[in-house]
Amino acid sequence: MNALIQDVRYAVRQLLRGPGFAITVIVTLALGIGANSAIFTIFDQVMLRTLPVQKPKELVRFEWTGAYSGSASSFGGDTGNYFSWPMYKDLRDRNTVFAGILAADRSSVGISWHDQAENKDAELVSGNYFDVLGLRPALGRLMTVSDDTAKDANPVAVLSYDYWKTRFTAAPDVAGKTLLINGHPFTILGVAPEGFHSAIGGYTPGVFLPVSMSDIAMPWTAPRKDLTNHQSIWLTLVARLKPGVTAQQAETTMEPLWYALRAQELTGYRTVSERFKDKFLNHTHLFVKDDSTGFNPERQDLRMPLLVLMGMVGVLAAMCAVNVATLLLLRAAGRVREISMRYALGAARSRIVRQLLVEGAVLGVCGAIAGVVLSPLIASVLVRIISNVGDQDQTPYTASVDLRVLGFTLLLSVAVTLAFSVAPALQFIRPRLAESLRQSSGTASKRSQLFRKIAVGFQIALTVLLLGGAGLFLRTLSNLRGQALGFQTAHVLSWQVDPTLAGYGDDRTAQVEMNVLDEVRAIPGVLQASGTTDPEIAGNQNGSNFTVQGHVAPEEEDMNFEIPCITPGYFATLRQPLLAGREFTAADVKGAPRVAVVNLTFAKRFYGTPQNALGRLIAEGGGSDVKLDTTIVGVVGDVKHQNLRDTPRGTVYRPYLQQTLPGGMELYALTDQSPETVESMIRERIHRLDSKLVVYQMRTLDEQMDISLANERALAFLAMSFSLLALLMTAVGLYGVLAYATAQRTREIGVRMALGAQRSAVVMLVLREMALTAVIGVAVALPAAFAISRLLTSQLYGVQPGDPLTLAACVGVSAVMVVLAAAIPARRAASVDPMLALRSE
Amino acid sequence: MSQNIIEIEQLTKVFYTDEIETHALSGVHLTIGRGEYVAMSGPSGCGKSTLLSIVGLLDTPTSGRYTLNGKEVANLNFSDRSRIRNQEIGFIFQSFNLIGDLTVAENVELPLTYRSGMPASERKKKVQEALERVNMAHRMRHYPAQLSGGQQQREAVARALAGSPSILLADEPTGNLDSKNGEAVMKLLQELHAEGSTICMVTHDPRFAAHAERQIHLFDGKVVAEGEMTQLLAEV
Ligand SMILES: Nc1ncnc2c1ncn2[C@@H]1O[C@H](COP(=O)(O)OP(=O)(O)OP(=O)(O)O)[C@@H](O)[C@H]1O
Ligand SMILES: [Mg+2]
Repeated sequence: MNALIQDVRYAVRQLLRGPGFAITVIVTLALGIGANSAIFTIFDQVMLRTLPVQKPKELVRFEWTGAYSGSASSFGGDTGNYFSWPMYKDLRDRNTVFAGILAADRSSVGISWHDQAENKDAELVSGNYFDVLGLRPALGRLMTVSDDTAKDANPVAVLSYDYWKTRFTAAPDVAGKTLLINGHPFTILGVAPEGFHSAIGGYTPGVFLPVSMSDIAMPWTAPRKDLTNHQSIWLTLVARLKPGVTAQQAETTMEPLWYALRAQELTGYRTVSERFKDKFLNHTHLFVKDDSTGFNPERQDLRMPLLVLMGMVGVLAAMCAVNVATLLLLRAAGRVREISMRYALGAARSRIVRQLLVEGAVLGVCGAIAGVVLSPLIASVLVRIISNVGDQDQTPYTASVDLRVLGFTLLLSVAVTLAFSVAPALQFIRPRLAESLRQSSGTASKRSQLFRKIAVGFQIALTVLLLGGAGLFLRTLSNLRGQALGFQTAHVLSWQVDPTLAGYGDDRTAQVEMNVLDEVRAIPGVLQASGTTDPEIAGNQNGSNFTVQGHVAPEEEDMNFEIPCITPGYFATLRQPLLAGREFTAADVKGAPRVAVVNLTFAKRFYGTPQNALGRLIAEGGGSDVKLDTTIVGVVGDVKHQNLRDTPRGTVYRPYLQQTLPGGMELYALTDQSPETVESMIRERIHRLDSKLVVYQMRTLDEQMDISLANERALAFLAMSFSLLALLMTAVGLYGVLAYATAQRTREIGVRMALGAQRSAVVMLVLREMALTAVIGVAVALPAAFAISRLLTSQLYGVQPGDPLTLAACVGVSAVMVVLAAAIPARRAASVDPMLALRSE
Repeated sequence: MSQNIIEIEQLTKVFYTDEIETHALSGVHLTIGRGEYVAMSGPSGCGKSTLLSIVGLLDTPTSGRYTLNGKEVANLNFSDRSRIRNQEIGFIFQSFNLIGDLTVAENVELPLTYRSGMPASERKKKVQEALERVNMAHRMRHYPAQLSGGQQQREAVARALAGSPSILLADEPTGNLDSKNGEAVMKLLQELHAEGSTICMVTHDPRFAAHAERQIHLFDGKVVAEGEMTQLLAEV
């Protein structure tokens, strides 16, 4: 023990003697380890962490495949993740393998408390929700089956712990009090436990409301009659397996029930072709999947980027180890004589190896500590970018280091430290004493030179690899940003107001929204103002089935189209080209003839040309008894609607004012100067209209585009940062190796000059050595980059994996790095005095 | 072309270090004729190596004239000096200065590789001749570390010879050798001289200096006559 302390003390003294070296190593380690813990912090939260509920391993989730016809409302993922309420009830009541099944949906609602209204995320849950999850209240009581009985009969709410802490200042007497949800009084039952957010991963609702209250929580869904409609799917289901039952067993057991329920459901369909019937009944399956981490649709989108980033920081960690090993080896090489002397004086091998390992460990510990300090800084960048959607305080992810991250960092640091400290220690396990004491100092041992070359080559290869990935992501981002969207984002401001928060009934929402638009239009500098129920590039998909006159659609044909309801001037505001016919006008209201504008995709599919579409009849819904009541009056160009990777989808625009209870809108204003300049004016006008109206999510469409690109931006930004870090590390390693080699060869260089070598020849001598290493490194990296980039295909846009231009750029950047790193040693070599040759050693 | 390979007049060399001026050479006159074998001696620090380095174009004089093979070379730039050094001068160093990573043959070939336009076959031929001349041809593929000190210095002589220089410059070529190996190297130089080489050698050892046909004495940066030298040394 004493000896160890002595070793540590000696090691610290050794390191302090060359603080530049120690700082270089510690900074390298800190960046490498910090980047790893940072990415792991997020990776763990998104991908690995189980829900904070009882026995999360027992939780499973349902997913189905098969034909379907009706309306689907989703908050992400595909329709197979969603179920109708009647289907839920059947699955819940008729199975034998689950201890319970819960249903849930996300929505945002207006919550008024003490006359203060705000818009807040809510989770609509089945009454058994907390039961199935096995949660206990932090305060009051949680919802039970008896709180979710019949339509509109259960105005009760459970608060989330965080919401209770912030909005209700952790008031202990909150249970039994009343708050307003969308203007309707709800009784607070209690508070959910601390640390629990939602059964839906990555979601942080403020309140939990019974599904039976969905018409109040989501008034615009009322026409769907969700509580009885088999053909409206909107709920995600989570089940708890009975003890001892596996997900696989459950899936097998559920199969007959699933087929029975499907057959039963089909009887409710109006007209069915034989083909559809066959597909509906026979080509369907119900999957039972592990749900211990909670269903998180964003996880699907974040999975690949996070895996890529984990891979990248893993590479960075490996580079870090190799880099530090190289630096330590160089330092050790400088100490060959010292250490050989110690051996010669009779030091035991274990003693010397231990001393070297202790030095490595001291560096490793310092690096790890610095890395842990650095980690939240890097992680917070990622958190900020990926949780751009919604308000800052709602982010479900945290950048702070917890025990799991600490554990991960510890393991990683030990691995890295072992890797880099063993290399120099090995060099001295079998010291070639005679050689190193006799050898003239002019030449270094071939073996250690080879190791250094391989190490540098390895680093160059990995750098090219990282740069290649980062390059592809950067190009993807710029392709997504630079592409034509079908509308113009410049100079457009967007925001929402929620009239229900201000106490307006659902029937008055439309009028308030129109009044707001009138106010905004009157602001100088506002050229156009309009709104839509289906905001652009906000991830929204909102569809319905249509019947097209003269087109007989078999059941399996996809007749589902996007259905934005918009106000007059919408296309002018977004500068979306009108290809034929007209925009909606103020005359297109309830009572007037029903009209629609369709997009180019729709027009081409059914009518061939935009002009041809004018005057044609369509109708929402299907079946033979549908009334063709809507006339197409205009055709507009296609847009990227849901997100920037969207392919155009048939779209039927309808006048907002022609709908019954159309709900809230996303409002847009086109301004003649930068849209930020009218922000405060708009807020002021709306406040003047009704001081209770709250403006929220006010941002420019360009900002909205950034939000839509959050994952791509995070990926490109971090990948580029890590690659540049790798580049820097490699440059440091390369510089170290070359500087050392040049110093070692000073005499040789002097001799060569004495023999008539020109300066250029000497510079070439220094460069040639690394040039070959670099060429081999790049030669190894390129095919690897090509192969690995194929795995990234799903993340790319408008650029092929293995894109030659990107790879060439990476090689170019790496080459510049090699030359820059070699420049100083090369200059030093060129300035060696040939007189050196005359001096005897 | 002049009979003299080297003509030096009024040569001075001053080193400036940390405000101290060291007058290493102060007005040296020296001529070396073609085919001559000159030994240079003098007490430590008198400027022998400095003079040799200027003769060998490793360094430039502070003032004075230096004509090598009839060409004024005192104030050439680095690149021109490198070229002339490579073609006209053959160096033999006290500490051999062989390059450990290169084989015997590669070491000998080294100065030839710095000569532009010499084809590889010709280089090989010259290397072979030079190594045969010093009886080292059988060791061609060895590395310097595998040779004895005497063998290493013979290899170094071969390297100096390979480029057929106008003059061989040797700074204490026997300094790192025992007397037997030292004798062998001196014998080699004598043979080379007999074959027509011009040699200028710095040595401490009066026995070896006696091998040369002319002896130059340096004292305090000046060339002095032999008698004068004895007197000066006695005074010290
Ligand atoms: N680069 C230099 N900078 C400063 N002073 C120098 C330099 N090189 C040589 N000198 C000085 O010039 C003088 C002559 O040195 P030189 O090496 O020529 O002596 P030498 O005759 O070769 O001695 P020795 O027999 O010990 O080799 C000495 O005083 C030495 O200290
Ligand atoms: Mg000397």
